Amino acid sequence: MVDQLVSRLSAPRLWGWVVVVVVASAAVGFPLFDLGREVIGAGSSAALEVLGGDGAWSPIVNTIWTSSLVTVLTLSGATAVAVATGGFSARRRLLVLVAMASPLLVPPFVSALSWVAAYGPGGLIDDGIGISLPWLIGPVGVVILLVVNAMPIAYLIVNAAIRSRGERDLVRAARVCGATSLRAFWTITMPLLRPALLASGAITFIMSANAFGVPVVLGTPARFPTATTRLYQDLVLSADPAAFDRVLVLAAFLGIMTLVVVGVADMSNRDPIRLRTEPSGPRLDSSDAGRGAAMAVAVYFGVTAAVPIVALVMTSFTRGVGLAPFPPNWTFDNFREAFASGAGSAFATSLTLAVVAASVVLLLGGLLVALERRRRTGVGTVAALAFAVPGSVVAVAVLLAYGPWLRDTVLIILVAYVAKFWALGHRPIAGSADAISPELSGAARVSGAGALTAVRTITVPLLRPALAAAWLIVFMFALHEITISSLLYGPGSATLAVTVLNLRQLGDPTVTAALAVLLTAGVGATAIPIVALSRRSGVFR
Amino acid sequence: MRSKLVVAAVLWVVVAAACSGDDGDTLRIYTSVTQGTVDSVVEGFGLLNPDATIEVFRAPTGELAGRIAAERRAGGLGADVLWLTDPLSMQQYSGDGLLRAWQPASAASLPEEFRTETFWGTRILTMVVVVGDGITPPATWLDLTDPRFEGRIAFPDPGFAGSSFAVLGYFAATDGYGLDFYQALSDNGAVQLNAPGEVVTGVAEGRFEAGITLRFSAQNAVDNGSPLSIVWPEDGAISLYSPIAVSATSNDVGAAEGFVEYVLSRDAQERIAATGWQPISQEVPWEVEGLQVTVDWVDLFDHQAELLGAYREVFGG
Repeated sequence: MVDQLVSRLSAPRLWGWVVVVVVASAAVGFPLFDLGREVIGAGSSAALEVLGGDGAWSPIVNTIWTSSLVTVLTLSGATAVAVATGGFSARRRLLVLVAMASPLLVPPFVSALSWVAAYGPGGLIDDGIGISLPWLIGPVGVVILLVVNAMPIAYLIVNAAIRSRGERDLVRAARVCGATSLRAFWTITMPLLRPALLASGAITFIMSANAFGVPVVLGTPARFPTATTRLYQDLVLSADPAAFDRVLVLAAFLGIMTLVVVGVADMSNRDPIRLRTEPSGPRLDSSDAGRGAAMAVAVYFGVTAAVPIVALVMTSFTRGVGLAPFPPNWTFDNFREAFASGAGSAFATSLTLAVVAASVVLLLGGLLVALERRRRTGVGTVAALAFAVPGSVVAVAVLLAYGPWLRDTVLIILVAYVAKFWALGHRPIAGSADAISPELSGAARVSGAGALTAVRTITVPLLRPALAAAWLIVFMFALHEITISSLLYGPGSATLAVTVLNLRQLGDPTVTAALAVLLTAGVGATAIPIVALSRRSGVFR
Repeated sequence: MRSKLVVAAVLWVVVAAACSGDDGDTLRIYTSVTQGTVDSVVEGFGLLNPDATIEVFRAPTGELAGRIAAERRAGGLGADVLWLTDPLSMQQYSGDGLLRAWQPASAASLPEEFRTETFWGTRILTMVVVVGDGITPPATWLDLTDPRFEGRIAFPDPGFAGSSFAVLGYFAATDGYGLDFYQALSDNGAVQLNAPGEVVTGVAEGRFEAGITLRFSAQNAVDNGSPLSIVWPEDGAISLYSPIAVSATSNDVGAAEGFVEYVLSRDAQERIAATGWQPISQEVPWEVEGLQVTVDWVDLFDHQAELLGAYREVFGG
């Protein structure tokens, strides 16, 4: 049996599978297996307490409806922008990309705080022109902020997919044959985008279901609990083994729920439509509709990125909470404090972890996509499990699995990051690769190219936007990550977020804002050369 | 060629990371106490014990509890000393046999309510009222249920913050308040936030007129010039203590006990006071601005789940 299987696989494919299976088992399988054993050990009484108790379902129901709504809104928005700006010139498209991706700069754990500082009562806009948004606190605010947090990723995936295929020629052909633009969209663009929409939909749903920072800041005051806020409350009480069991059961429930959603999405993507050619015709130049889209993107950028970032910067320079952000109240103390105890080496740790995690995830995700070209195996679906489990529980699982050997090392944080962010790297690549016809590399092979040459010269160039998007997303998430590292760090492996937030408990917005500004500046300093270089090599062209 | 270099670099980082583990023979402290306080006390201990190597793992209560729970189930508790923010978790660990039973010499002078067989109070946390500038302060806790504060009061969720749970425990057990007090707060539109620090922020930014929070957090904001002030209710600010203990499985009992003795000593107590926390030792001068009342933790511990359940009936979830 094994002999047959091995003989059917070529040597590179075999080694590819060995790498993927070994790393997937090590990073995702083993820790989740340990977690599952603990959940089963917790027994039915804990399960009953979590799922059968009084009011036990309201956090779960809240999580399900907000995540579903967020997914629909995010996908609609991302698709609308990607399609409407698809005909822009290269320079304007890069501007759109930067505008849409820049909310990624604000770490998720401060995005809700920065919105409250910007738009809440007593916030920046309230101080300036007397307008505040009281409904920001509550389910509406939770949904909006989750959409804002997921939008950059959904947009990057959908945009990369649009760029990776030749839908433009087909749309033009349909229009020439008399189809309305709406009809061309429904019958051509949508089916072609299906893999990308499923990929970004899965990520959006999972991200929203396991978000903690947004519901805790905007939901708790409105008495709007979600599965993750309830889970954290049990984590606080987890000196009591029964409470810890409840944490594990609830995490397992979140994981299974995600597995079902993502599994259905993956199943319905069995036969993606693949195009034979790259786009060849000229771009449709931007028209009035394009100008409207550009305006909409500019407004979106102002509301979701510019104003919150300005609010953050002003808070970070303010002496004390609640003081007006004017020169008499300005200080550098928050930055001095953030830099005080070894923030330099912590930033190096964060940067290293982010670069290595993004690169490992990119290689693994790319490898898995290549291996699953012919037949899906479900490995991708399972890899999404770790992304679905809240960070604190991923950290607990990795500690259960590797604590005795790797406790306190950077490596244990890296393992947790690879487990957690695998889906983030894998899905964007899969979403784009599904629509690339295998006949292209087949043609290269027939013409005498080796397998690796075909990948290097055909597949990778076609996938470049998706690969760049995947790397960037994982890099940003790993750089901002706070929960996993605050649970797993040891001497010498503290990340920047841990170091700065340990100085003051979360809740002191001035130092937290200084941290966010430092991270943003750090990312800017790293990202600008990368974007400049990759622009020259055509990644974002 | 370039890709080989990248792979080599990645491998190097991974190997370097793997080799940076701890080398044993160090005193390991797990704590949720504020970083500045821990740093100062560890520094003082180092001055007296120049040969000691100390590693501190500091994390918020939830992450710390999660780490300890995971370690208990795989490989065993990695700490020699636990220094926590409220006695609730410590009581559970003590009951589960995780803590070493002994008596520090320096604990003898502590008031009885801060001493057990396995853990001792190190500093006192106090929950007070904060009001924004220009707001007439409430005289008592019950004044917070006055209609003039309708929708303008915030307090930390007792499910997140141990200090807020102490407040819940105190009111639940005290005649004249009970859970009715929380019902009245709820009817008055009081808002539960996550952490004591968020309450300070909300009041300072004018989103709320008054709040229940830690004196320490409020004092920090006042010192930085934030527009708010601290009010000690006439019926007493509610205090709790931050306990310390030695792990039953510590590899270096001598050093661990030495550290606990040091934290309870006058030198460390002065350092704790200098970082803004009320010291447990009455030998160190500290001005208490009003009446302090406290909770019966032994009784509270037995009713933890029940009390939080009753609270959630009132405050949603």
